[in-house]
Order: sequence, then C-alpha cells, then structure tokens
Amino acid sequence: MDFIKIHVKGIVQGVGFRPFVYRIAKENNLKGYVKNMGNYVEIVVGGKKEDIEKFIDDLKSKKPPLSKIDDLKIFKLRDEVNFDDFVILDSEETNKEEEGTIPADVAICDECLKEMMDKNDRRYRYPFIACTNCGPRFTIVEKVPYDRENTSMRDFPLCEECLKEYKNPLDRRFHAQATCCPNCGPKVFLTDENGEVLYEKDEAINEAVKLLEEGKILAVKGIGGTHLVCKVNDDEVVLTLRERLGRPSQPFAVTSKLEYLGLFAEYDDEELETLISPKRPIVVLKKNDDYDRYFSKYVSNLDTIGVMLPYSGLHYLLFDKEIAYVMTSANLPGLPMVKDNGEILKKLKGIADYFLLHNRRIINRCDDSVMKKINNRMIFLRRSRGFAPEPIEVDIENNKNILCVGGELNSIACLVKKNKFYLTQYIGNTSKYETFCYLKDAINNIIKITNTNKIDAVVCDMHPLFNSTKFAEELADKGVELFRIQHHHAHAFSLMGDNNYFDDCVIMALDGVGYGLDGNIWGGEIFAWKNNKMERIGHLEEQYQLGGDLATKYPLRMLLGILYKKICEEAIDIIKEYNFFSEKELKIFALQLKKKINCPITTSCGRVLDAISSLLSVTFEKTYDGEPAIRLEALASEYIKRKRIDIEVSPKIKNNILNTTDLVYDCYEMLKNGIDRGSIAYYAHIYIADGLSRIAIKNAEKLDVECIGLSGGVSYNKIISERIRKNVENCGFKFLYHKNVPNGDGGLSFGQGVGYILMNSQ
Amino acid sequence: MKITRMHGAGGKVMQDLIKEVILSNLEKTSVNGGIGLECLDDASTIPIGDKEIVFTVDGHTVKPIFFPGGDIGRLAVCGTVNDLAVMGAKPLALSLSLILPEGFEIEKLDKIMKSINEACKEADVAVITGDTKISNVDDIIISSAGIGIVDKGKAIRDSGMKDGDAIIVSGNIGEHGLAILLSRERFEFDADIKSDVAPLNKMIEMVLNEGIEVHAMKDPTRGGLANALNEMAEKSGLGIDIYEDKIPISEEVQSMADILGIDPLTVANEGKVVMAVKREDAKRCLEILRKHPLGKNAEIIGYATKEHKGVIMETIVGKRIIDTPIGDPIPRVC
Ligand SMILES: [Fe+3]
Ligand SMILES: [Mg+2]
Ligand SMILES: [Zn+2]
Ligand SMILES: [Zn+2]
Repeated sequence: MDFIKIHVKGIVQGVGFRPFVYRIAKENNLKGYVKNMGNYVEIVVGGKKEDIEKFIDDLKSKKPPLSKIDDLKIFKLRDEVNFDDFVILDSEETNKEEEGTIPADVAICDECLKEMMDKNDRRYRYPFIACTNCGPRFTIVEKVPYDRENTSMRDFPLCEECLKEYKNPLDRRFHAQATCCPNCGPKVFLTDENGEVLYEKDEAINEAVKLLEEGKILAVKGIGGTHLVCKVNDDEVVLTLRERLGRPSQPFAVTSKLEYLGLFAEYDDEELETLISPKRPIVVLKKNDDYDRYFSKYVSNLDTIGVMLPYSGLHYLLFDKEIAYVMTSANLPGLPMVKDNGEILKKLKGIADYFLLHNRRIINRCDDSVMKKINNRMIFLRRSRGFAPEPIEVDIENNKNILCVGGELNSIACLVKKNKFYLTQYIGNTSKYETFCYLKDAINNIIKITNTNKIDAVVCDMHPLFNSTKFAEELADKGVELFRIQHHHAHAFSLMGDNNYFDDCVIMALDGVGYGLDGNIWGGEIFAWKNNKMERIGHLEEQYQLGGDLATKYPLRMLLGILYKKICEEAIDIIKEYNFFSEKELKIFALQLKKKINCPITTSCGRVLDAISSLLSVTFEKTYDGEPAIRLEALASEYIKRKRIDIEVSPKIKNNILNTTDLVYDCYEMLKNGIDRGSIAYYAHIYIADGLSRIAIKNAEKLDVECIGLSGGVSYNKIISERIRKNVENCGFKFLYHKNVPNGDGGLSFGQGVGYILMNSQ
Repeated sequence: MKITRMHGAGGKVMQDLIKEVILSNLEKTSVNGGIGLECLDDASTIPIGDKEIVFTVDGHTVKPIFFPGGDIGRLAVCGTVNDLAVMGAKPLALSLSLILPEGFEIEKLDKIMKSINEACKEADVAVITGDTKISNVDDIIISSAGIGIVDKGKAIRDSGMKDGDAIIVSGNIGEHGLAILLSRERFEFDADIKSDVAPLNKMIEMVLNEGIEVHAMKDPTRGGLANALNEMAEKSGLGIDIYEDKIPISEEVQSMADILGIDPLTVANEGKVVMAVKREDAKRCLEILRKHPLGKNAEIIGYATKEHKGVIMETIVGKRIIDTPIGDPIPRVC
C-alpha cells in the first residue's frame, strides 16, 4: 500500500470538488479523506499504486465543469495511515496567507432548471433552487472558507430533507452551500411602493408577471443586485422608466430566452456560446431587420442591443407571454446598484411601481457583466458578475501584495498577489461619494476573501483630484509604499499583461480623459515600450477643451474649440447655426477662447469624436459615458451597412502628431457641401484609425518591434479598432488586443499592477 | 523647483509650499502661549492680562486695481479687517505699506487712498502707521497689518468646529473672484457681477454680542467656500455635510460660472463669513445676520458630522466630494 497527500489549489470550493474527489476515490478503491483548507483542498489517500495513479489522472481529467486546478502538489507519505473508508472532513480555517479563491456566481444549471419546471419535484417553481454546479457564490459570501455559515445562507438552516442531500457525497447538492427548498430557504414577496406586502411565494411571482404584462415597472431583487424590469414593446412604459431614472437615451439591456433570440438579433456561434455560458453576461448583439417588430424604439437607439439570458430561477419564472424584458441595474446614474430591501424601497420609490423582493441578504453586490465581439473576440465592456473575484493570471514574477485602486470612471480595483490579479466587481464612478464608499468596501472585501494580511504597495493614477488617489494617499500615510502610474501608461501595461507580452512594442492608448505627464489631458497617445520605459512617441494634436468638463457634456463646445483654432471668430457663426447656445454664451465663449480661460489642453481621441458627433447633429448633450462617440459610431456603421465602399483618406501627420483640426474642418466642409452624414462619420473614423496606425507603424519599424497594440475606451469602437488591426497586420505586425481585461478604465487597475511590477523589476 | 501660477491660486499647492518651505524654516512662531503662525489661522494672538492682542497681515495685488464693486484700497482694508473679525476680535488699527511702480499715476493713488479712508470708516478702524516705497513692481502692491483685541481665551479658531454644528454662510458666494476675472479679461456684457468686498466686523460683532455660540469662523477668500470648509473640517478632525440647494448664489454668478465651467464653490469672496454655530443657536444666528445688509442672503448650508472626514455635498444626483481646490480646474469626466 502507498500513501500520498495532495494539495490542490485553484477554483476548488463551491464547485462540487470534494464530492467529486470522494466519488473517484471510491471508484479507485482508495481510502483516506478530503478536506477543505480554506485556500486549498487537502487529499490523503491510501491504496494500490496503480489505483492511486488512476485517481490522480481522474482528478485532472474528470474534474467538475466549474472547477479549475491551478496547482497540484503531491507528497509521498512515509508512514502508513489507517483508514477504514474514504471520508469528507469538515473545513479547516487557515490563517496562512495563501491565495484562495471564492468562485464567482454561476447561472442556474440545466438539471436545476429541469427540476424547477417539474411539477412533481419538491422544488417546483422554487426560484432559489441551486446545487454544487450552480447558484450564487461571491455575492453571498462574507468570508473564507466558502462554507454555508460564512454566507448569507446561514440565515436559512437546512430542513431535514435538504440536510440529507447536503450530507450525501453522492448527491448533486452535497455541500452545496446555497442549497435550500421551499420549506427552509428564502422566500419571495411582492410589495407595493410603500413596502406593503401584497403576495408571497409563487403567488407573488405570478402577480409580478401579470403586472409586467400590464405595463408596470418592477424592481426585482435578484441574486447579486436589483434590476428594474419592464416590457420591451411598450413605448409608454419604456419612456416612463427613462424619465424616472433620468436616463434619456442610454440603451437598456434586455433579458430574453434562447428560443426568442433569433427573432430580433444576429449572433454567431461564439456570441451564442458566451450568452449561454454559466457566466451568463450581457452580450451586445447586432439588431436584425425584424427587431423593430418586437421592441419599442426607446429601448436602444443604437444599431445594437445588449441581451442577457436568464441566469436565475426567478428570471425564468418571469417569462410567460413576453419574449423579452428590459432588465437594467437598479441604480441612479453613477451610484451603486441598490441591494438591501429597505434601501431598495427607499431609493426606488417613484421609480418602480411594485417590488418583487426576497429575504436573503446580498453580501456583495455584483452588476451584470457586459461583452461585445470586436476584432473577432469577445471583449469585456464590463467585467463583473460571473467573473469577479476570480483572478487573472499573468506570466510575471512578483512577491508583493499590491493594491491597485484604478481611476475614477468605470472603476474596478485590483489586488495582486504573486502572479494572480484579483479584479473586484464593477464599482462605477467614484467621483460620487456613495460609489467611492463602495470602492473602499470592495477593496476591503477582496483583501478579506483572499486572506491577505498585509499590503506592500498601493498604486494609483496621477490625476490629483481622483478620490481613488486620495484613498491611496491615505494608505500611504499608514506606511504603505505609494506608486503613481500615468493613466495611459496603465492602459498600455494592462494590454501587455492581458497578452502576457512584455517585450518591446508600440501601443496606442485611446480614450476620453487621463491626466498626462505634462499636466495636460491626454487621450490619443502612442507609446513605445523599450528598455523598461514607456515613452510617448506620438499623439493627437492638442486642442482646447472649452470650459473643461463642460466640453465633455456639451460636445458643441469641443467643436467650437477646434474650429476656432482654424477660422477664429467665424467658428462662432457656425456654432450659432445649431441654435443650442444663447448669444450671450457665444459671446463669452469667444472671449474665453481668445483669453484661454478654463480651456485646458487635451489630446483626447474621445473629444475629437464628440466634436464630430455634434457637428453632424448626432449628440448635443452627453447623457452617459461616451454617448456622442458611441452614437457617431452607430451612424457610421449604419452607413457601412448601406454602402460597402472602401474610402481613401490622407491623414495629416507632422512630428508624429495627427492633425485633428483639419479633420474636423474638412468634415465641416463636407457637411456644407451636402455630403451624407453617415459617410462623414465613417470618414472621421477612418482618418483617426489610419492616421494613428501610420504613426504607430512608422515607429514600430524604426524601433524594430514585432507587436503593435491598442487599448483604452476608444478601442471599444469597432470601426476604429478593426481598421487599426487591419492596418497593423497588413504591415506584418502582430496586433495586441484585449482578452480577459476590459479595454477601458475598468482595466486600469490591472494595468497599474502590471506596470508596478514591470517598472520595479530590474 | 520654481514658484508657479498654481502656487498663487490658493488651495493645496499653496498650503504645501507654506508648510514645507516657510513654516519649517522658522523656529519661534508664537508668543506668550498665544495662537501662533503654525496654526495657519486667520490671525494670531498675544495674550496680555485678561485680553489678547490679535494680529494679522495681508498683502494685496489685484488686476485690475479698480474693479466693479471696489478697488485694491478697499480690498486691502477689508481683507485685513475680516481676518481679525473672523477671529472674533474687534479690529482697532491697521498699518499701510504701499509699493508703487515708477510711473504710477498720482490721481490713481489719490483715488485708492480715498477708498481706503471710506472702508476704514465703515469698519471703524484707524490707519496708524505706514510706509511708502517706489520699486520696479508691475503694479501697486498694498500690504496691511491689522491689530484687534479679544477677551482672553475667546478667540474663535478655525479648528473649533464641533460635531453637529450648523454651517452658516453669510451671503451669496463667488462674486469677488468672478468680478475680478471678468473685468481683468475685459468681458463686456450686461450681467452685473460686482465684488462683494466689505468689512464684516460690525455684522460679526452683532452675532457675538447676542451670545450666539460660534465655534469656528473663516472668511472664504482664496479657494472660495470649498477651501474654507475643507480647512475647518481638517483642522477640527470632523466632516461637513452641505446641501447644494441651500448654498446662496446669485443667478448671475451661477449662470456665468455655468458658461465658463468654473465651480462657484472655488471662487474667492471678500465680504462673506462661514461660521460653525452651535446647532441650537443656528436659527437665531441666521435671523441676526439677515438683519444686517451684508447678511441678507445668509443660509444654513449644512452641518458638521463625525461620520466622515472631508466635505460632502448632497446634490439631486447623489453626493459629491468637495475637494480643496488645487488651482485651475482639471477635466476628469470621460
Ligand atoms: Fe482611460
Ligand atoms: Mg478663523
Ligand atoms: Zn444546479
Ligand atoms: Zn429544505
């Protein structure tokens, strides 16, 4: 008889790993035990040599679908160990600072779904049905190890029947921490806007469906957060929701069932696979020609629609007559999604007509993830539910615990331990106090659930006003090393880390705003990474941002600033035509531009797209992040769909600076000459993409590098980023693009971590 | 490193310069256990018998020297008087140091001196010492020190704010800074925004004479209300919650600030006081202030709290953190 001990690290908790070990141990006639150690699983087995070998093979090859083995260590035990049988031992709490992982939430599995729809099952129509293969994880966990008493399921002691399943190693619900049933688990109830309970349990759900079909707006508390839900085909209710939320035009995501998807959207295999994956993100799909038959035009004014398939039992139960529902995070713009019953009722009063709530506490709120296919790849617009807090691994050496606080918008923080990057769930705009507090909570939480005892370094942005920076400075006051990384450097590092590419390269970082090394606002940058240094080798032309942040909100200001550079006072007359500003405002703008009062300098790519968006009367007021540029892209891609032509542009470049004044002025001239707005929009995209490509390629040739990359929020723009990719690859370079990390500021903290390690290692 | 424009804009950059270069080189910065330089309060004190002498100095350069609502002379007097007044002191006397460039028109000097006299009468203070120099400066510089008096231990400190105090602003904010900006850059249009420059000592005296418990006071000059509130919060170790809809701002200032993209909270005032007042006294304090012509727009804008540090403003779209301004505004919105 041989005896061995195995330590398995990775995603091995809450995914049915121990019962799986039990099963294969039994199958291979082994004795011993398996035990959850908080951060890893310990297995001790005794048996015949060949049985043990087979066991180890099975361990690797037959592991449960949701599990992931990062590290498997095998120790030979000298002494004989006496076992009568193979057993599963209780979890052990460990203090050792070892990387452990709480799994992310998992969408309801097929087996549970089948049971839920089975009249004879004791969990028939019970929305909280879960097993080791599915259900909430991260959103209900308070601390490690992931055991029921460390989750909000501890409020619901198991009934006898459930306990039997929970204790049976051969049952699908063996040690399923979220398991429960109608007798012992959480309950749903429906309330009016005053919190008065109207119906409970199944009746509440039936009534909710009826109300939705009648055209009411419901707040639905789900697994890791709350959604506002309404019909998609009713202009009135969609507009009402828009008005109540103060969200005039940002597209709403919808939820629909697999069988209805083809009615209104186009998708390929990869998009479908993403949609039905257990991570179940929102996927941004192209609308098809029949879309308008099923949807109010107020759901999305773009050529795309964000769709999610149901991921909880409750979602499935909401479907009866409707083919889709608007399902949008219940939060006021910029503020965290509401999650506690009292808070939901208070904050959403006047927004939702009715409330479908339940009595399980949400511990960690987690917004839906959002993905879109760009450059033939599923890209994260937002990385959150289904992914957080599972780490991203990078081939990089590091022995410090590094906390990276990110930027300000679309914030996500990141804790780096060894080569593992733990990105928090999506946080949002931390310029808001409430969201800033959420950032701090999420950071404390990621530190806790990774069993981290100390932080060696904290990395932040260089913007002197970011709250995240102030938070980092506070930590630094307590003796933690503080390191600042320029915003677009962090974007570039994020791209390198995401591709495990650390050799010399040229990277474009394109976005809306970031504090530059020269104190100006950057956003259209080209860098060379060489000799462990990030060097700015090119950028967009500097423009004046008339009125600072106001130029972002009102893009005509940006347009005026750019045209003024070319034609001075004449530009005022052009802007006057839009009838957007008063005489007085225009008079002051002229003086403001002449005297450069509150006209910060920017090389932002987003602002140039904004200016053109307003020039073409697409957007005069930004109501959500990136709106003018996003709608300009929609206009351009609608044009491409109409007329498939390749256009030639000759971008003006001088000293590696792409001229944007002439771009904007030329667009103005085209508009004046009656050229199709869609074609002008398309021209602007190509001008920017080709111009930046040209600078990047020329420098890449000079520097003799192999790769050219693209990162930053503008790289979500399909037209620009696919054009740049084509240009780069046509010239024989490898194109670096994102995979596992968001392109935009959601990937900033990850880049800060990579940058810290690269810049401090030599 | 060299001094830049950013250093002159008040706020954090200036504070750091003062702490790191100026304060750190001085060894003796207080007398008789009075309030010293290191407190960076509006003025310092020297205890004598049962009184304290309150002492402050202020240098003034302003472009243009004549602006809507006042001129450099009035500004020099009010600036110094108000620093004494917000210590809870009765201002008594001023010094006047004039540095004049060659070629400065004597009629202008005459006009400035008449304005100084006028402001002194309003504040009921005397100019009792002075100095005049001709030098190659760009324009006239007026430096004025002031002496006031307060009962021993009764000086009102920046740091005295207590949990729950009501925060009161004596009137519309942002007027001085915008008026200066507009007249300097020769913005010509009909909106009339005038500097609020005025001596506050009489109005503050009314409040204190009525027995209102004022725990802290500041005049929100450079860096505006945002800077004053942050200093009060930081020095007392508390936080302040304010409400956007309670902050008194004239329509003209608001609309001009909206056009320029400038936050009125960060714009200088020269005739306003911010007080942290015992909550129970707040209503009465407001009534007294509103009786005075300089305080007719006074408002309770918020409350001190121990729940957080810093200054947080509740708006219709959530809570915004009000920072210490760092000079010119820097875009941050994507
Ligand atoms: Fe960015
Ligand atoms: Mg004071
Ligand atoms: Zn399941
Ligand atoms: Zn049960």
